[in-house]
Amino acid sequence: MTVAAGFGYVLISLGPALSLFVSVIAKKPFLILTLLASMLFWLISLIVLSGAWRGFLPLKSASWWPYVILIVTSVGFQEATRLIFWKLYKKLEVILDAFAEEKFRSRLSWTDKMQIALAGGLGHGVAHAVFFCVSLLTPSFGPATFFVDRCSHMPFFLVSAIISLGFMIIHTFSMVIAFNAYAEGRKLDQIIIPIIHILAAVMTLINLAPGGCAIGVPLLYIIGGVVLRHCWQMVWRKLTEQGNRQRNSSDIHVS
Amino acid sequence: MQRSVLDSLGVEIIGVISPVSICMLLVVLLVSTLSPSASDSAAAAASATTAATLVYDESPSDPPGRRLAGALLNAAAFVALITAATTLLVVLYYYRFTGFLRNYVRFSAFFVLASMGGSILLSLLRAAAFPLDAVSALVLLLNLSAVGVPAVLSPAVPVLLRQAYLVALAVIVAAWFARLPEWTTWTLLIALALYDLAAVLCPRGPLRVLVELASSRDEELPALVYESRPASASVSHAVAALGSVELQPVEPAPPNPTLSNRNVDPDRTIVEIESLEEETSPLVPNEPSSSGSGDARQQDIAAEREREREGERNQDPSSSSSLPGLAFESDAFDTSRGIRLGLGDFVFYSVLVGRAAMYDLMTVYACYLAIISGLGCTLILLSICRHALPALPISITLGVGFYFLTRLLLEPFVVGASTSLVMF
Repeated sequence: MTVAAGFGYVLISLGPALSLFVSVIAKKPFLILTLLASMLFWLISLIVLSGAWRGFLPLKSASWWPYVILIVTSVGFQEATRLIFWKLYKKLEVILDAFAEEKFRSRLSWTDKMQIALAGGLGHGVAHAVFFCVSLLTPSFGPATFFVDRCSHMPFFLVSAIISLGFMIIHTFSMVIAFNAYAEGRKLDQIIIPIIHILAAVMTLINLAPGGCAIGVPLLYIIGGVVLRHCWQMVWRKLTEQGNRQRNSSDIHVS
Repeated sequence: MQRSVLDSLGVEIIGVISPVSICMLLVVLLVSTLSPSASDSAAAAASATTAATLVYDESPSDPPGRRLAGALLNAAAFVALITAATTLLVVLYYYRFTGFLRNYVRFSAFFVLASMGGSILLSLLRAAAFPLDAVSALVLLLNLSAVGVPAVLSPAVPVLLRQAYLVALAVIVAAWFARLPEWTTWTLLIALALYDLAAVLCPRGPLRVLVELASSRDEELPALVYESRPASASVSHAVAALGSVELQPVEPAPPNPTLSNRNVDPDRTIVEIESLEEETSPLVPNEPSSSGSGDARQQDIAAEREREREGERNQDPSSSSSLPGLAFESDAFDTSRGIRLGLGDFVFYSVLVGRAAMYDLMTVYACYLAIISGLGCTLILLSICRHALPALPISITLGVGFYFLTRLLLEPFVVGASTSLVMF
């Protein structure tokens, strides 16, 4: 609508990511590199997906089941890339630990690992927001706006910005949960993450129904809230565990 | 908070990626704000004849076969021109015309800032309808250009100013190059990547000869080099490295357009690029000193060397400068890894991203990620290979590949999904 509105949409979808970046990631160069690497991963997975689906596009928008297949295959592929990302990270962790031993006489702490996971997740989330939302926002800097038939409550740009914000939260924190689950071998968490991803993607299918976005978007945010809470619980548990461990070791020292 | 390995790892890489990103961002902004307005005015509608369009002047109405053939001819002519210019450079350097070369760098820096920068400033003022009168604008422009000359060449200028001027030079040259027609731009980029590969790695390549000449003389060539953390001002010459010597050939001076009204035809502005010696400076690896180096600061080593470069040497990829920059890194001294990138690398990365910006923002992001990852790969290779490497090939290949993949595959997929509000 105007430059101000355009910037507003960009900030809606990327604002929390920007604040996360500035407060946590910008200080540590390695995390910036992790962010860029995970963005690249997500982009490559998206290109492969679009290459695979190119022959079938454009989908007939009347029926909804082609979209279901699209989403299930896409989410499955992205979860597979998450696994590959984890494996690569494990290899890198060995090198990092060796480096840390040499320079600092200590290994990577669990906060370091969580920060790397956060940077990885943020990379996925930002790449999603950029490719699905921000790259389409160029017309919004101009004088007009655009409404989609199925969701005529608000401009298309606003809806897509809100949805991409929800997905950014889900991607970021599910990566933290996933890395922790792979590290500790917690099967429940490992399975829940892909399920949540598929659920969230399927929620957006509700948007296909006319007027459905009024239901789909709040449901998406409920899922985002669930992911946030789960991540918080996990972090809290680890904090208390580490706190107890340190207290125990210091007790041993004293006595 | 205790220091962790995450704090220190990768500082130099970020020190290179940040200016490259800033340069690309500025070029994208310039291209996207100026090209719609430029297409309106009649002067811009007339194609600028540059050295790159000598053979074939592309116009959108030609059939694809003719365009491709014409673009290839253009690229071949351009690369031939650059090879000739670089060879001239090598010859001049061999016969020790260093003073001439330094003055040429100064002149070309001033000229680029004043004339090409001036025309961009004019377009920006026109686009923004900014109320600045001609006299003030002229004074401002001349002053800025005059400050730019010592800023890029002399070591006594504050680092931030020098880096800012180098980035500004790269932005101006890249914005100029982005005006080339589309097919010519893409073939030119690929041809330059191949040329860079050949010039730096072949035993008889001009850049490699330059690098070896400079290393054999133990000299530092005056060059436009981007350094993220330059050496202190007191040391003006590089010290021969203990082990790996890293040379960074700097790119030769940016094209010097001389406006000459050869043609009586008022619609065409012939911009002649006199010496377009674009060399992409190879990245010079700077080896991190291993643990023992702390103590080994070296008096003994200092005794051996005549001149020592203090401080940390970072390698910056340097860009265009008419003289190759030679950076000697000593293993024992360097405690940090620095990277120098040639200004020509800046220019051509930005040209790629600028051309991607003319299509859509999605291609911009994809090409940005591709170029940055190519740069990262090159830097990693640099730390393994320990000798001068061309910075263009991997990034340009990835960038061009991602551009076409995004344009053909990604965009229908993502736009179709996103406008139906189906996201994953």
